[in-house]
Parts: sequence; structure tokens; C-alpha cells
Amino acid sequence: MARIELRNVSKVWDNVVALEPTNLSVADGEFVAVLGPSGCGKSTTLFILAGIYAPSKGEVLFDDQVVNDVEPRDRNIGIVFQSYALYPHMNIRDNIRFPLKFKKTEKEEAMRLVEESAKLVHIEEFLDRKPSQLSGGQQQRVALARALVKEPQLLLLDEPLSNLDATLRMSMRSEIKTLQQRLKITTILVTHDQLEAITMADRIICMSRGKIEQIGSPKDLYENPSSLFVASFIGAPPINLLEGVASQEKLNLNKGSIILNHAHQGKLTLGIRPENIKITKDIQGIKSRVGLVEPMGRETLYVLETTIGELRALVPESAPQWGQGEDIFCQFEKESCLFFDTETEKLVSNLRLVAIE
Amino acid sequence: MTGKTQTNLQTDQEYWNLRARKSKRARWRQQSILIGFLILASIPVLLPYFWLFTISFSARTGGVESFVLWRACAILLPAVFIGGAVQMFIPSRRHRLDAYFAIIVVALIALVWSIGPYLHLENYRFLWNPNIVEELKGMSGAGGDQFPWVWSAFWNSLIFACVQSIVVLYVSTLAGYYISRFSFPGRSTFLQSLLVLHAFPAMTLVIPIFLIMFWVGLIDTITGVVLVVVTLELPFSIFLMKGFFDSVSWDIEMSAIVDGASRRQAFVKVVLPQVKGGMLAIGILAFIKGWEEYVFVRTLLFEKSNWMMSLYLFWVSEDIMGVDYGIVAAVGVFYVLPSLLLYLFFQKYIVQLNIGGVKG
Repeated sequence: MARIELRNVSKVWDNVVALEPTNLSVADGEFVAVLGPSGCGKSTTLFILAGIYAPSKGEVLFDDQVVNDVEPRDRNIGIVFQSYALYPHMNIRDNIRFPLKFKKTEKEEAMRLVEESAKLVHIEEFLDRKPSQLSGGQQQRVALARALVKEPQLLLLDEPLSNLDATLRMSMRSEIKTLQQRLKITTILVTHDQLEAITMADRIICMSRGKIEQIGSPKDLYENPSSLFVASFIGAPPINLLEGVASQEKLNLNKGSIILNHAHQGKLTLGIRPENIKITKDIQGIKSRVGLVEPMGRETLYVLETTIGELRALVPESAPQWGQGEDIFCQFEKESCLFFDTETEKLVSNLRLVAIE
Repeated sequence: MTGKTQTNLQTDQEYWNLRARKSKRARWRQQSILIGFLILASIPVLLPYFWLFTISFSARTGGVESFVLWRACAILLPAVFIGGAVQMFIPSRRHRLDAYFAIIVVALIALVWSIGPYLHLENYRFLWNPNIVEELKGMSGAGGDQFPWVWSAFWNSLIFACVQSIVVLYVSTLAGYYISRFSFPGRSTFLQSLLVLHAFPAMTLVIPIFLIMFWVGLIDTITGVVLVVVTLELPFSIFLMKGFFDSVSWDIEMSAIVDGASRRQAFVKVVLPQVKGGMLAIGILAFIKGWEEYVFVRTLLFEKSNWMMSLYLFWVSEDIMGVDYGIVAAVGVFYVLPSLLLYLFFQKYIVQLNIGGVKG
């Protein structure tokens, strides 16, 4: 197990910046998710950690030792790729045993370790098959077993679940998390799926355009996003964002306006999560009309046409339900309203909602 | 009311039956036309080989006796057509096999009866008689140089083909991997020039290459010819090999490297097994190319001890006063046999060349 640290690490490919100077530290035994859309530098970060890419600048540290010049094979890392990257010409046993061959493990000991890690991910009955004879989920497990068999100090997962179907993805999610907690391996998961990051990781690193946007616990990122990007990337259904212009204590949104706790000048974006909007018949709040209704099981998603713009509201099954075309009023939970500077896309943290006009 | 639906149902039934019969007939018609066309189209392709084959076993003292060919064709063609009909009209597999067996037996009996007495192995005596030309020339009364034994030419051809296919395979594998995986200045120019090089007809290079070989001192050596043929063959092989390596995913290689392999170990243990089929295909094509090489063998080799099969065939037809077609045909059959066998055994790998893909 190891403590991982990046100090001012950056990566430039022929004048294209893949990763801006980045500082990052991951504690021993922690499960960290690197979250971001494709092309945000998250895979670059992963490959720098694995030693496949050399950083253009900066230092990579494992347990306070600089490992920039250490070959990937000497870093003692386990890695699982999105494509699983199993060796098609070897059977499963040889696939899992492959890393041990280079560690010069005794044959019997190696066989024991292979069996052990196969058991860990429940594939012991497939050991004599070829990868092509296994389903996607099973191949995924083999890749995991191969990554774990050499007892790595760092486990890297590169979008490990994106090729699986929805049900399987859910069970693998909890399985990987359980396994990580049991083995206490420092784990870094790279993903573009916010649900995966939120459910599995202790801490999320949200990246965009080669830069870290925010680091924090899943709850932190969900409730206190530091930028428009993080706010809109995390959460499903996504956060409602309404653009407007503030003057004094008034924020004009579309045809309506709201009152802020203190004066502000310039363009602002209001962010409110669908579950923080309350729908009532009382004449109080924003006048709106129910548009589309999407039942989602435990909750119902309403698309509302309001005077300040289109909003999506998530209403639990237990609350009163509404029909399409009904005239209603909606209210915001004041402390969950977030205000972002539209220009800089950063959170303006001291602004609060006082009242709706 | 019920009566009406009944009749409707009946007409419906008839309607669908009619449709089914119609499409069944159409399928049969199409298939028989296709099979007939394929048989007819392959006749002009196969006939010369068949001619070569029958002549080599039937010609006597230089004359061409084509009646054996025609008789054989008269028996075999109907047999093939009947075989096609059997394939089409007999649905059960067992019955089909029985029918094939019957056709083969009848055809064999007919062949033995009609052309059996005319077949002999005389024309193949060059295989066990080292002095075949001496003997022929003695007959025709002309003097001349001695021919090498055919096995010496065969051996030369074999060594030549093997060595040059091994060199082509080795170089194109390494080069293909490098071009596929590494970026270096001039990579795209290099790739384009590979194709341009392949566009050169070898004939245009005969004189410059002859001069170069002469100056270097490799004229009349098999090593020299190997170098020349390998050089001409490499561009395209490298290009093909690059395509095969392109289709091996990076992930597998990176995974091997993280798993503890060095770059070389990853290449040998993980990447090479993925392109095995492609390597085999390129190796076989190179072998066949070497086996049939004529232009540079003819221009760069003079010594009789350096003769290869293509030269032997050429001189057999050229050097003997009054061509003995029987012997020429027999040498031809002997010459074509190894590459034919190779094709038969490794067809499925050669077909892979399409899959390996040629992408820039």
C-alpha cells in the first residue's frame, strides 16, 4: 500500500496541453475517483501514475520517493483497462499468472496465488478457458484478478465498468468497493460516469480541460460544487441552471426576478437541484405550469414552465402528484440555491436567496 | 358468416402455398445457374493445368498427344456436372455421399478403361536420371553442355525460397512493429514511399541491379539474388505487417508492461502471438515468390551449379533440340507441386491478409 503524490505534474504533447500543472495527494488505502468528460486529462493522469507516460514537468511520488524514472514494471501497480486487455492467446490461468512470471515466483506458489485471486473475484471455474469464451463481466473479473494477483501497492482502474450492462455494472460496483475495503489497496478509479464515482469513491477529483476543478467527498461535490462545471457534471437528473443579470439586490431571470441577500453587479447563474424544488397549489413562489411528466419509479420528474425559465423538479412518490397542464407554484429551498458568476463560472459563495418576487 | 371466413382461410392458405412454391423454385433456379456458371468459368482456368498434368503422364517421344486430355475431359466434365446436380437435388447428407462415391467410382473406371493404357512415368525420368539431357542430345545428335541434376536445382530453389522468406519475415515484422508503434520524423513520408517503391516494375531495375551486383562482387551468387529479391519484396511486406500490428490494441501491450514485462518481452510474449496468422501469410507468400522467381535468377546467375527450378524449366524447353513437351510438362508439374501444396495447407492464413487490413 502506498501514499501517492503528484507535485506540479503536467503533460504536453507537441504544444497541446493534456494536463496542466497538477498537485494531488492520495492517502494510503484511499479510494479516489478521477471524474471528468473524455479528453479532460484523467487518463493522462492515470498513465503518468502507471509510468507509461513520463510527465513533462513535475514529480510523481510513491511513499515520498520520487518515481519519475522508475519503469512501470518496477512500480508494483495493478491496472484494469476499459477493454480488459486480456491476452487472447493465453487461457485465464496463464493470464492471471502473467505478472507473477516476471516476479520469478515459484511455480507452486504462483499457482496458489492464481487460485486465490481467482476465488476473490469468483472465477475459479473458468481458469482453463480462453478469454474469448467468457462474457464481458467475467472478463472484467479476470482483469481484476490479474491486477490483484501480485499484491500491488496501487490499483488503477481505467473506466473498468463502462463496457458492462447496467445490472452487472451495479453489482460490480459494490463488489469492487467491498474488495478494496477488504484489501485496503490504494485505488484510483478513472471514470466519466458520475454515479460510479459517487457510489464507489471516498474522494472525487473532478477534472475538466486538463485541470482539477474540485477535490472533495462525493457529498461535498454534490452539495457545494465550486464551479458551474462540477455542478452540472454531478447529479442525475442534472442541476437546473438559469442565467440572469443582477443589479443591486435583484437578480433578473427571464421574465421574473428574485431577491438576493446582498447587492451584486453582473451576470449570474442560479443553480438549483431538481429535488430542492417544491411544488404547491398555494399562491406563493413562482407561477408555473406543468409540462412533461416523467414517472421514474420512486420519484416523478416534472418539467415546469415558469416565469424564470424551464425547471425540472423531482417529487417523491409520497408527495402530491400533478397532471400535465396544471397551473401550480414552485418554491426553492433557500439554502440549496447556488449562485455562479456566469463569466468566470466560479461559485459566488456569499450570495443567498432571500425571496422570490 | 362462418362459411365466408372458411373460404377466406382456404384461399389464404393457397395463396401462401403458392408464394412458398414460387420462391422455392426461384431459389433453385438461382442456385443452379450459379453453380453452372462457376463450373463453366473455372474450366479455362483449370484446363491448362489439367493439360500440363495429362501431357506429363501421357506424351511419348516428344509428341503432343492431346486425345488423352479430351477423353479425360469428356469423362470428368459430366461427372462434375452430375456432382453439382447431386449437391442441389439430394437433400440428405448420407445419400449425397453415396451418390458422390458412385460418381467417383464410375468416373475412375471409365478413365482407367479409356486412357489407362496410355499413361506412363517415362517423362519423369529426370527425377532419377541425372544425365537426362545427355541422353536426349545423344538421341538428337547435338552436342552441348551437361545439365545439372534436377535435384540440385530443386535444392537451390528451396534454400533460396526459405532464406529469402525468413529474411523478409524477420525484417518486415520488426519494421512493421516499429512503424506501427513509434513516431519518428518522416514517418508518413516513409509509409508513402513504401507504396511507391512497390509500384516499380522489377524489370526496369534489371540493368542497374546487374551493374551494382557486378561491382559489389555478388554476381552469380545465390546470396546476391536473395538480397535483390528481399529488397524488392520488403516494402509491401512491411506495409502489410504494419497493418497487422495496427490492429493489436495498445491496451494489451501497456497492460503487459505494467504487469512487469519489458518492452521486448511484451512484444514477444503478447504482441507477436496476435499477429501470428499475418506473419505466416507473409512468410508463405514470400516463399512462393522466391520459389517462382525468374527474372533475377535468369539475369544474375550463370553457373550451372546455381540453377534453380525456374531456370531448369527454361533450359529444358530451350536447350534441347526439338522440344520434348512430355518432359517439359513433367518438369512443370514437379515445379508447381510444392507451392500448390503450400497454398492448400495454409489457405486460411493467406485469406487473413484481407483482415489484417491495409490502412495508412
